[in-house]
Amino acid sequence: MKTDRSIIGKSIPRIGAIERLLGKPLFSADMELEDPLVLKVLPSDRHHARIVRIDTNDATRVEGVVRIFTAQDIPGKNLTGIINKDRPLLAEGEVRSKGDPVALVAAETVMAAEAALRKIRVTYEDLSSVHDPEEALEPDAPKVHEKGNLLFTRKIKRGNPESVYEKCAVVVEKTYRTSFLEHTYLEPDAGAGFVEAGERLVIAASTQNPHYDHSEVVSLLGVAPEQVRIIQAATGGGFGSKLDLNVQGFIGLALHHLKRPVVCTFTREESYRMTAKRHPLKMTLKTGADKNGRLMAMTAKLICDTGAYGSYGLAVASRAPVHATGPYEVDHVDVECLCVYTNNPFAGAMRGFGVPQTAFAHESQMDLLAEALHMDPLEIRRINALKAGSQTATCQLLKDSVGIAQCFEAVGPHYEKALKEWVHGETDPSKERGVGLGAMWYGIGNTGVQNPSTAHMEMDREGRLTLYTGCADIGQGSTTVLSQIAAQVLGISPEDLETVVGDTAFTSNAGATSASRQTYISGNAVKEAAENLADVLLTEGVDLLKRPKSDLMLEDGYVVDKKDFQHRVPFSKIAARASRKGIPLRWQGYFDPETVPLDPETGEGVPYATYAYACHVALVRVDVLTGEVTVHKIIAAHDVGRAIHPAGVEGQIRGGVAMGVGFAIMEEYDPSSTESMKDYHIPTSSDMPEVVPIIIESPEPTGPFGAKGVGEPALIPTAPAIVNGIANALGARIYHLPANLERVLGASIQSGKFTLKEVA
Amino acid sequence: MTRPAYARPETLDEALLFLKRHGDETRPLAGGTDVMVDLRSGKLKTPYLLDISRLPDLQGIALTEEGLSIGAGVTISEIYTSPLVAEHAPSLIKSCAFFGSPQIRNVATMGGNVGNASPSADTAPSLIAHGAKAVLAGKNVERTVAVEDLFVGPYRSGIKNDELLLRFILEPAEGRFSDFQKIGRRKALAISRMSMAVLADQEQGGAFRSIRVALGSGTPTPMRMEKVESFFKGKRPDRQTLEAGAGLMAQEMVRITGRRPSTVYKEKAIQGLFMRMLYPIWKK
Amino acid sequence: MKAGRMIPIRFTLNGEKRNLEVGAAETALYVIRERLFQKGTKEGCGIGECGACTIVVDGKSVNACLMAAPQLDGRVVMTVEGLGDKEKLHPLQEAFLDHHGVQCGFCTPGLLMSAQALITKTPHPTEEQVVEAVSGNLCRCTGYQQIVDAIGDGAKKTGGEE
Repeated sequence: MKTDRSIIGKSIPRIGAIERLLGKPLFSADMELEDPLVLKVLPSDRHHARIVRIDTNDATRVEGVVRIFTAQDIPGKNLTGIINKDRPLLAEGEVRSKGDPVALVAAETVMAAEAALRKIRVTYEDLSSVHDPEEALEPDAPKVHEKGNLLFTRKIKRGNPESVYEKCAVVVEKTYRTSFLEHTYLEPDAGAGFVEAGERLVIAASTQNPHYDHSEVVSLLGVAPEQVRIIQAATGGGFGSKLDLNVQGFIGLALHHLKRPVVCTFTREESYRMTAKRHPLKMTLKTGADKNGRLMAMTAKLICDTGAYGSYGLAVASRAPVHATGPYEVDHVDVECLCVYTNNPFAGAMRGFGVPQTAFAHESQMDLLAEALHMDPLEIRRINALKAGSQTATCQLLKDSVGIAQCFEAVGPHYEKALKEWVHGETDPSKERGVGLGAMWYGIGNTGVQNPSTAHMEMDREGRLTLYTGCADIGQGSTTVLSQIAAQVLGISPEDLETVVGDTAFTSNAGATSASRQTYISGNAVKEAAENLADVLLTEGVDLLKRPKSDLMLEDGYVVDKKDFQHRVPFSKIAARASRKGIPLRWQGYFDPETVPLDPETGEGVPYATYAYACHVALVRVDVLTGEVTVHKIIAAHDVGRAIHPAGVEGQIRGGVAMGVGFAIMEEYDPSSTESMKDYHIPTSSDMPEVVPIIIESPEPTGPFGAKGVGEPALIPTAPAIVNGIANALGARIYHLPANLERVLGASIQSGKFTLKEVA
Repeated sequence: MTRPAYARPETLDEALLFLKRHGDETRPLAGGTDVMVDLRSGKLKTPYLLDISRLPDLQGIALTEEGLSIGAGVTISEIYTSPLVAEHAPSLIKSCAFFGSPQIRNVATMGGNVGNASPSADTAPSLIAHGAKAVLAGKNVERTVAVEDLFVGPYRSGIKNDELLLRFILEPAEGRFSDFQKIGRRKALAISRMSMAVLADQEQGGAFRSIRVALGSGTPTPMRMEKVESFFKGKRPDRQTLEAGAGLMAQEMVRITGRRPSTVYKEKAIQGLFMRMLYPIWKK
Repeated sequence: MKAGRMIPIRFTLNGEKRNLEVGAAETALYVIRERLFQKGTKEGCGIGECGACTIVVDGKSVNACLMAAPQLDGRVVMTVEGLGDKEKLHPLQEAFLDHHGVQCGFCTPGLLMSAQALITKTPHPTEEQVVEAVSGNLCRCTGYQQIVDAIGDGAKKTGGEE
């Protein structure tokens, strides 16, 4: 019920913003500890090698060095991994990529630690290495892991595409490629730790999933869960990379042995060298349509390079094929995705989990089909759009909240206008203008598996409320959104709600901040906790106000008689009463989306309970003489179900577009040469297009107040739209991202546009 | 290696005396945008850092009888906002406009940019196109050298251990066409993938009376493309001539640098950039 | 002539006079964070490529990670701690709040300093001037526009116009 009092849909001040504006010491590297030791990691400098010997004698003698750890110092299980446990904290006998941690130095100063790193002598016996996933699948390829290089296969099969292609009016088959990317969050990985009185190890870290960190550290150290406490420190962005253990294990190991405070902060170069990357994908898509543009069949072969360790590879290799059709109805589908180990740096979660890559492919295909059929690119998308009642390639029936048609409708006028007017307005003799579309769908939550969230609320004896959530806010604003949800249910102002976030001593597992899942899943868990509390308040209110429950409501910290607002009782009174009665003032909430695991042969199942949808229009200017691309404007329509905090949604869309621009034209991590931010380019303010965000609300009945998610959807349609815009400008297409200077100039030359126009 | 020591001379004389004694183990420090990065990475190990950022003799922009004089210690921001530079060396304004970032421009100096001798030094093409000379001072000795000659090789400077760059003297444009263009991977904080500058003088009928073209990020050191300059002299800048000249420029670049992985892109981009830069002339 | 491995310097930090000895090649960033315990200024890359360490020195925005600490001598320096406090936010900080220009917050102090340097010199900046002034401050979360709007708004409010 939307009333004037509705906090849902209000862009309230963000919780935590003021502290950050004041520069308060909130981040891990800001922590003041008593005489902390500095931890530094020695990474492997080989792609693939057996470790014959690690000689730390000279290094240990460096003044200020306290201890040097190797794998043998790990008391518990030396294997970590968020899905596959295949990654040692410290290399055990073998290194599989440059960047595998080999030894850990604890020293009094950074200088001493760095000097020690230089003096550790590792004797390697080089093994042959493989750096291309297709080569890695050959029978005689070097084995990255004992069990073989094919980590995982996902198949989605429905109908019989091969039998249908001959009936299609057009069939387009192309191969698309993307590169390794780096998250480049502004805060390099960091953490600090100390031992609490009572011997509990406390680790504060920049992380997206404190409860997962906790389980890993407990396993690494072989200790009881109560002996470790993880606190999510303020986290300066994560985008998927801070889901893996980056510093937490090292801190735990040092604390366990040395019982002294420690800090572990990566330099930017260390972050680039030792943390996860985005999976490069090679995607071959074949798509067939009838003469009216209706999609009839699709075949896709996708290969993911997951590097030396699995990390989130399984998730990427599941998501990519599930979403490969795009937000369109296609009856006959055959998609196969292989997730392959190589000796490249490990690839893990990065905003979108394989969908930014496949969207680039399926949206390029749509434009190619439109071109072959002489159809308008928006029209071909419109007629194929998923809707309520559609069945997906995994045979899931979509029931509600399928807002892709509304997204197309919203961008339509902008698209038409750009094509009619803007695209003809170029006055610069070396530039060509183009307009492109990109559409997407994105399942909220982890693919076809349980991924619940829990939360709880407490009320103290004075009636003050506290929300406890393990949900890590990494800048996307979840703490604010969750507070709004609780506040709405309880009729209070969010300012009157205390929050305790991401501290394993107090909160319970909310699952990872990933898969755009927190508003939907943690939001529901919080809503349930708040509703349980609300119910108790109302029930007590019945007794105190002598009115039936249906006549009562919650407002401003009171249980109020709807028929007589003066007739009310404050929470504080109820709290005092309840605690006298011995009622525990704590209420749980739990939510797990309804999914059905995917069949290993056909992919049939319900991978997600709900999907977000979006469409972007990109207006681009291409310099045909140099290959430079200027993204002039992006119109971004997103179906988020319900915007609980509209400015927050807008902020995510704008930030996502920025990341999409980077993905499209400038970001490329080359394992053999990218070392620092000098070699890796993310967009600056000068690179940003004008962005017009359009929030579409197609309410999701199972979502908290109808909400779904936007974190990853924000970036997914941008690169496809830009690539299609470049093709529109040049008349030649880019099949390999990023569409950097070299590739765009190549396309310009190929298209015959590499010349100065005679412009009046 | 022990950490460096720091010294800050108050006068030029003090600085030069210091360099006379310790020149071979000293690195001058002005804005620090290259020195501090190299110290951090270990690429630079130096016993002494000599802070010359506040020496008055290295400051100032003035039009003298020698030409447009710009102190080696003047910051990129100061050059960028100088009316004198805008009037007499417009291409240098453009070199500075996209130099690094505002923070870097606020402290970086042209002396540092030239002294670092990077093949992609942003100020080099404009300086060279304007026939810039560098005045260097040692204890009791001064010499003047063409800026181009200070780039001996990639990151190898012709500045001697015991001398300091004092100032640069540019030929004022005096109505000639002066422009700089750069290709970067993004629009700020971007190293030049390729850059070039031109200073061109046309006769009444349009033919080039003289032209200087300098290339950055295409050859081991920034340099004038003399063969291209001779080609254009006396010719009218119509489309065919410009395209032919651009092609010659690509050829020259490849002849000087050899074929590398980047050549596929650069031999086309150099032509494209050249045509783009000369468009205002061609248009007329 | 000042010389040595440890250099005594005097400078003003956020209005307060500071005297201390700094290492010859220590960065201003290191000294501010680790010697003076002002943690607001952040290290994002250490090589001047991200702007997270931006401070204001004699009115100009500067990357503290590229400044040798001895060069702080005699300067007037501002870091984010000098802009406003909890009781009284600076109009720039208020504007960032109003325009939702803070997400993870790591780039925020550097951005505030670039903004401060801008409006000190250019009290009424155009949007273009704001975009240029922050082009050396990378942000991975916001896409910049809400920040640019905030700075424009904060400039007006600092100037006393509403």
